[in-house]
Amino acid sequence: MTMHNNSFANAGAILRINLRNDWLKIVLWILGMVGLMAIAAAKFGDLYGTQAAMQSIVVTLKTPSMVALLGPFFGTEPYESAMIYGSEMTVFMGLFAAMMNIHIAVGATRAQEDRGTVELMLSRATGRQSPLIAGIVELVIVNLAAGILESLGLTVAGMPGSDASGNWLFGMALAAFGMMFGTFALLMSQLASSARGATMLSYIILAVLFVARMSTDVQKPQWTQWTLYGWIELIKPYMGNDWMPVLWMSVVCLAALAITIPLASAKDLGAGLVTAKPGRTTASVFLRGPLSLLARLERVSALIWVLGMFLLGASYGSIFGTIGDLVSTDGVLGNFLAGTVKDSGNQAIVLSLSGTLTSIFAVVVSIPAILAILRLNADESKGYMEMFHVKRVSRRRVFLVFLAFGAVIGTVCLAAAVLGMGIVGNQAMKQPISLAIFMRGFVGFWPAVMVVCGLAALLSGIIPRFQKVIWIIPLYGFMSLYIGGLMNLPKWTQRLSPYGWVNSVPTDGVNSTTFAWMTALSLFLAVAATELYRRRDLQLR
Amino acid sequence: MTDVLAVANLRKRFGKVRALRSISFSVREGEVFGFIGPNGAGKSTTIRIILGMLRADKGRVTIFGKDAWKDAVEVHQHVAYVPGDVFLWPNLTGGEIIDILLKLNGERHTSTTDDLIREFNLDPTKKSRTYSKGNRQKVALIAAFSSDADLYIFDEPTSGLDPLMISIFEQHVSALKRAGKSVLLSSHILSEVERICDRIGIIRSGEIIEEGTLDEMRQFSRSVVRVKTAQPLAEIGTLPFVHQFESRNDNDAMFSVDSESIANLISVLQPLGITSFESTPPTLEDLFIRYYNEDTSSEGNVSSVPGLHAAAAVESEKHGIA
Repeated sequence: MTMHNNSFANAGAILRINLRNDWLKIVLWILGMVGLMAIAAAKFGDLYGTQAAMQSIVVTLKTPSMVALLGPFFGTEPYESAMIYGSEMTVFMGLFAAMMNIHIAVGATRAQEDRGTVELMLSRATGRQSPLIAGIVELVIVNLAAGILESLGLTVAGMPGSDASGNWLFGMALAAFGMMFGTFALLMSQLASSARGATMLSYIILAVLFVARMSTDVQKPQWTQWTLYGWIELIKPYMGNDWMPVLWMSVVCLAALAITIPLASAKDLGAGLVTAKPGRTTASVFLRGPLSLLARLERVSALIWVLGMFLLGASYGSIFGTIGDLVSTDGVLGNFLAGTVKDSGNQAIVLSLSGTLTSIFAVVVSIPAILAILRLNADESKGYMEMFHVKRVSRRRVFLVFLAFGAVIGTVCLAAAVLGMGIVGNQAMKQPISLAIFMRGFVGFWPAVMVVCGLAALLSGIIPRFQKVIWIIPLYGFMSLYIGGLMNLPKWTQRLSPYGWVNSVPTDGVNSTTFAWMTALSLFLAVAATELYRRRDLQLR
Repeated sequence: MTDVLAVANLRKRFGKVRALRSISFSVREGEVFGFIGPNGAGKSTTIRIILGMLRADKGRVTIFGKDAWKDAVEVHQHVAYVPGDVFLWPNLTGGEIIDILLKLNGERHTSTTDDLIREFNLDPTKKSRTYSKGNRQKVALIAAFSSDADLYIFDEPTSGLDPLMISIFEQHVSALKRAGKSVLLSSHILSEVERICDRIGIIRSGEIIEEGTLDEMRQFSRSVVRVKTAQPLAEIGTLPFVHQFESRNDNDAMFSVDSESIANLISVLQPLGITSFESTPPTLEDLFIRYYNEDTSSEGNVSSVPGLHAAAAVESEKHGIA
């Protein structure tokens, strides 16, 4: 009886099914990451071709704000394009690798448990641990494929100063780094009681480690190696090529799996290890209509988002004090800081940086806003809304409740981030800037977030099946703002997303024309979306 | 009696699939209307159009004289609905969901609600993530039965319930009927429909093929007859209104006969000296299978002899929304 008590039976079959379901998602993620790395590598050769250009960018990269954003610069003279690339891209690509792994890990394990697919599989001659093992193997395959292709992409791009060891180190380190967050997500999938919870916990880990890396890099660089996230920059690609962090990441992967596998066999199918206590027998007086219901369903994640955005703003604000180190601010930093200030002093630089940061906040707060708006169709297709829609509640009201909730959560999160940045920034600076001036950034970028909400609503109103296409906007907005400035891309590339239309707030005042047409556009989109939603079939199971 | 619900010439396509070709029927005040048909015939699609969740391509649904699509909000004040597959927000408890469903219609949790929770044996403190299919269905049933509606719509409400719970469900439907409420009950548990429904509509591939009381339907169907006679009765098998003639021996046979020709049959049998005569009226299941089979087999081959049921193929899912 070789099959007797084999807890890994059929793992191969499950892996094949998972890969068949996920292939498009995997291909898009890998193509995006490989393409981004290879194109940036090819571009960096031109952008930082001369020693003078590199000298100036290195000065910029060594400033605390850039260290906080991108990690420290480890290169020594004479500088090469590859060194600039190596320090600008590690932390940034690590973020993408971690996000990809969280999605694939939760999708292949916990999400399938929620959907009941695992129950079906386990009813066959399938081992209890097989779905988890299939998930682990899928992550290994995806990360290895991504890592190898990234390395090959770097080899083909052939930046000045790059070497084979650095190319392969970068790719393999991203693979190990991504795998590390994948294994964390697998661990969270055992603890949380739903896929949503597992994703949320995984992102909290990612955010905490990222913020820890940021503050150690700026304040105590020798501690960065304890933040785990710091390992991705410590490989120092093209600047010494240290393979040790890759080894550490692999050890952490194995350790996380060593905890996850016994936990998986200890927990009941479909449950989390954190068991729920008995809930309410009746609804509270506050739970009475569609809005309070949605607020009740979203309250935990809304709170985490608002708090998280405040902390993110505060952590950036905390470096405003040391920003006086910026003396020569020419070249790429000038571009990065929206190109308005050159030599006009510390406050102007802080304001300009806060404008760039606010644009990033605007992109990030679009995430909870979009999630709330897309939730309507998602809940409908899960069947949760079927009885709800047969109540004395009009479709218009239901739709507007979800849309308004998204708009409000986006607004509050953006305000929290800007306030966190302003309040903590003022603590750190010798000459504080009025909060009202920081809030110009909030007022300027707010209508852009509203337009994104309107577009999300419009998509969910017309073609619910493809509503997730809306994610292209924040993703593209993030990339065009974050690296578009660094890479000197023309202005119209930023204007493909609503965020690119906002003027240089808070350095300048809010452009009332832009504010007016964007607000009007978002209102129009909201009305059109509601009318379209009222007239179509609901998403039903 | 007035029509509480009137469905006229509904048509609905999903892409290339014609889900509903032409659906017309009505539910009268104070009656329990059984809506039966195989999986994929269009029962749920019809119900979802009635409830304003889907929009009909053609046709009209009127509830209490109001348009079910345009006046959906007003109509929903007087309707209670239990879907076939109940899914609930996993983070809310059963008790919370029952209450919010009541509150959305301006109703409240009453002692009736508590009685129902006890009767259906539901633990309302559990998060609905932990509920089985049956328990999720109980949540929907409790919310529906404790609301004071005029029209109750149940879409295969008992598919996840145990026999004890099914009987509690049937008691409550009878109570609704006694209180003068109207009920639309979609089901493919035919014995249930036979027990509690006043009138029945049979749907097949998006069309209503029969509507009426069980007795009316039986009139146009066949009864199974077992007869023993003193003299040989082989010639009975040749009569035009006799089908599936099977003789045990010369004096003993079993066959089906068109219900309207029972009198003719007896007058032919009389001279042969009847020693035993048993006639079984068709069950709803017989009717259903007969109607269904007409789609695929030619007239005359149709069986209404119990025991041949198993041979009837059940139509597979025809389209996504069933």
